[in-house]
Amino acid sequence: MKTTLLLTTATVSALAFTPAMAEYPERPIELIVPAPAGGGTDNVARMLNQYLEEELGQPVAVLNVAGGGGAIGVNQFSRARPDGYTLLSTWNSPITTVPHMQRVQYSYETLTPITSTSQSAYTLCVAPDFPAESGEEFLAELQANPGKYTYGNDGVGGTMRLAAERIFEAYDITARPIPFGGAGETLQNFLGGHVDIYGGSITPVLPYVEEGQAKCLLVTSADDNDALPQASGLAALGHPELETVLWRMMLGPEGMEEERAEAVADAVARAVEHPEFQEFLSAQGETLNLVRGEALRERLEQETQAIGETLENLGLKQQ
Amino acid sequence: MFESLLNALPVALQFGSLISLFVGTLIGILIGALPGLNPVMAIALMLPLTYGFDPIIALGLVAGIYNGSMYGGAIPAILLNIPGTPAAIATTFDGYPMTRKGEGGLALKTACWSSAIGGIVSALALMTLAPMLAKVTLAFGPAEYFWVAVFGLVSIAVLVGKDVSKGMLSALLGVIIGLVGIDTISGEERFTFDSLYLSGGFELLIVLIGLYAVPPVLEMAEKRNESYFDSDSFRAKPSGGSLGLLRRHWRTWSRSSLIGVAVGILPGAGGNLAALLSYNEAKRKAPDPESFGSGNPVGVAAAESGNSADNAAAMIPSLTLGIPGNLVAALVLGALMIHGLQPGPQLFTRSPDVVFGFMWQMLLTAMLLLLLGGMVATRLFAQVLRMPSALLVPTTLVLMAVGVYTVNGNVTDLYVMLAFGLAGYLLNRLGFPLAPVVLGVLLGPMAEQNFRLTMLIAQNDWTVLFSRPISLGIIALLAVVLLSQLWKALRQRRQSQYQGS
Repeated sequence: MKTTLLLTTATVSALAFTPAMAEYPERPIELIVPAPAGGGTDNVARMLNQYLEEELGQPVAVLNVAGGGGAIGVNQFSRARPDGYTLLSTWNSPITTVPHMQRVQYSYETLTPITSTSQSAYTLCVAPDFPAESGEEFLAELQANPGKYTYGNDGVGGTMRLAAERIFEAYDITARPIPFGGAGETLQNFLGGHVDIYGGSITPVLPYVEEGQAKCLLVTSADDNDALPQASGLAALGHPELETVLWRMMLGPEGMEEERAEAVADAVARAVEHPEFQEFLSAQGETLNLVRGEALRERLEQETQAIGETLENLGLKQQ
Repeated sequence: MFESLLNALPVALQFGSLISLFVGTLIGILIGALPGLNPVMAIALMLPLTYGFDPIIALGLVAGIYNGSMYGGAIPAILLNIPGTPAAIATTFDGYPMTRKGEGGLALKTACWSSAIGGIVSALALMTLAPMLAKVTLAFGPAEYFWVAVFGLVSIAVLVGKDVSKGMLSALLGVIIGLVGIDTISGEERFTFDSLYLSGGFELLIVLIGLYAVPPVLEMAEKRNESYFDSDSFRAKPSGGSLGLLRRHWRTWSRSSLIGVAVGILPGAGGNLAALLSYNEAKRKAPDPESFGSGNPVGVAAAESGNSADNAAAMIPSLTLGIPGNLVAALVLGALMIHGLQPGPQLFTRSPDVVFGFMWQMLLTAMLLLLLGGMVATRLFAQVLRMPSALLVPTTLVLMAVGVYTVNGNVTDLYVMLAFGLAGYLLNRLGFPLAPVVLGVLLGPMAEQNFRLTMLIAQNDWTVLFSRPISLGIIALLAVVLLSQLWKALRQRRQSQYQGS
């Protein structure tokens, strides 16, 4: 009896004195996804989560906190204890765009950067009879006809619209944005001939490129895209700095220990190596992209500033 | 095409597929029956578990949950006036009064058959007409969507009840609730009072549960010592059995199923609109429109066949065009892509077994509803009403709270639900009808956004609203509905004058 008690005390004190780093994670982790269950962000987060659980050796519970363009979930997350047991899995807009437009309680400066995971570019496509065959000709045609063409996009403050506006700004182009609810709605209106230009993610429009019903002439990433040989990347046009893409990342609350952030980033790096996850990603039209720690913070800072300028020019910036 | 359809039948009839359909339908009914838990959430949670299996198993599960939940939503709508899913709102109009009259069993049975029939018609449309109907989808631009929304708003005239001015005020209240949030066209905030919560606007489901489900709970609590339900006569068997139902409702079923399919092929319109329009049409065509709202089984039949007929039809734009008609369709697209199947025009030729197999599954699960719905719903859920109020009131409230909380994981949603609950209670007491509020919330934003999109595209040239053939067709329908109402009103007035003199 006495020995058992002694042994127990010994174990407890041993546990208490071992550095936290070696133990983490020692209990289940909660992962906040600031989007509703069933959306793109949620799908990717849940898929990655299956492999992340294996790598961390602890269950990770996904909690969807939707609303406010992601801001409500990130707000709630930013008040969590920075012990590494509450993590955030988000796309870029709630961090780099929404704070310009709404009053939120966080910024890229306060949250702890862990690692980015994947990204996908947007594309601009036109009908087959459009008088342009390349990215350069496309931009020249828009330049020559200010206000003539309509482009469907994912709404005011949507990342696709900002990606397009950044490019148009640099080329002094005026096109008329038509804000739809997302790529599906935009595709419907583009195929029906209700708008001239499709602006949205690549995957939904791909079958129509193969069928010859759409020609995609521009992607919003610096690099060209293998799936769309006719489209120019921004580097090919001489403007790699205008890249705006949809990308996903994991963040911690303000003041999370660096060792723990590193441990999560390592686990993510191992989790994304699973071939099933990579197959899943390519089906979604996304590519792996792992940027960690301070480099991630820099990326967030640059994007926040670039988007802030674009929003200001569009008259959408608050404060 | 019909050959591929036949070839896919054995795929859908595999043991694994049948099991997943069975399980899916059962889960769907339960999910639908618990207010707040919705099929999108259930499917999103289940799909990752099926990635290792054949795609047809994953799709069977989706088909089952989807169709099952559409019927499941009717169960609390009928028994407790709580729409289990937003699409079940029109089911409460007559389903709940039937329960209070002691006809809950009949209402459940009618709902089950109506859901199954709507689902079957819809699946048949998906199987035979998909490529043709997809062309119709593309012809609908913002101008046409605007007219669809106006058509829905005008039907408020049918739902408005006896006091026209109160009905119109209710509709206006709905439109105002729908205005709250960030304007999607300009990015301006409207009625948000600097609150981040309000900037997202009110979630339809939360408004509906608040307005519709909280007031009856409060009323139950008021009458805690009296028997609230006429429970000793819970008649499950309608006179004449299932054949009697068929004879009584076949007209309503065929009309509502057509409306459901038509609404279904328009991405974004949704099952709730299908149900409301079906209900209106049934009421307009009925010889006894005044009996609607006080427990007419035709109302339940119309609403349930309408919303279920939306289901498979909503898959038409997703499978043929790659444009998801609703969130479930978006999840189906996701599931297909994970298995390397790219939705869009080539899907039918490249992987016919999966697509046509899925269509068969949609048909089979609609039929399964008759079996499972009848077993689960009438036998199990009807027992709920035997609970004493002292247990039923808190249980219902807790269920609603859990459901609302799971939508966004946000506690503020619970207070919003309670606030709308109090509002609904007051509106009830003051004699304002609730149905126009719902239509206002649903259709006000749809009409406004699409009007402004039309103006943006046409650069404020309003003649485009009247220059396209589909728009003109909808306007003609509108005129018919309005004039027939007017004529009916005039004739009634003349009759009453004649009798009075």
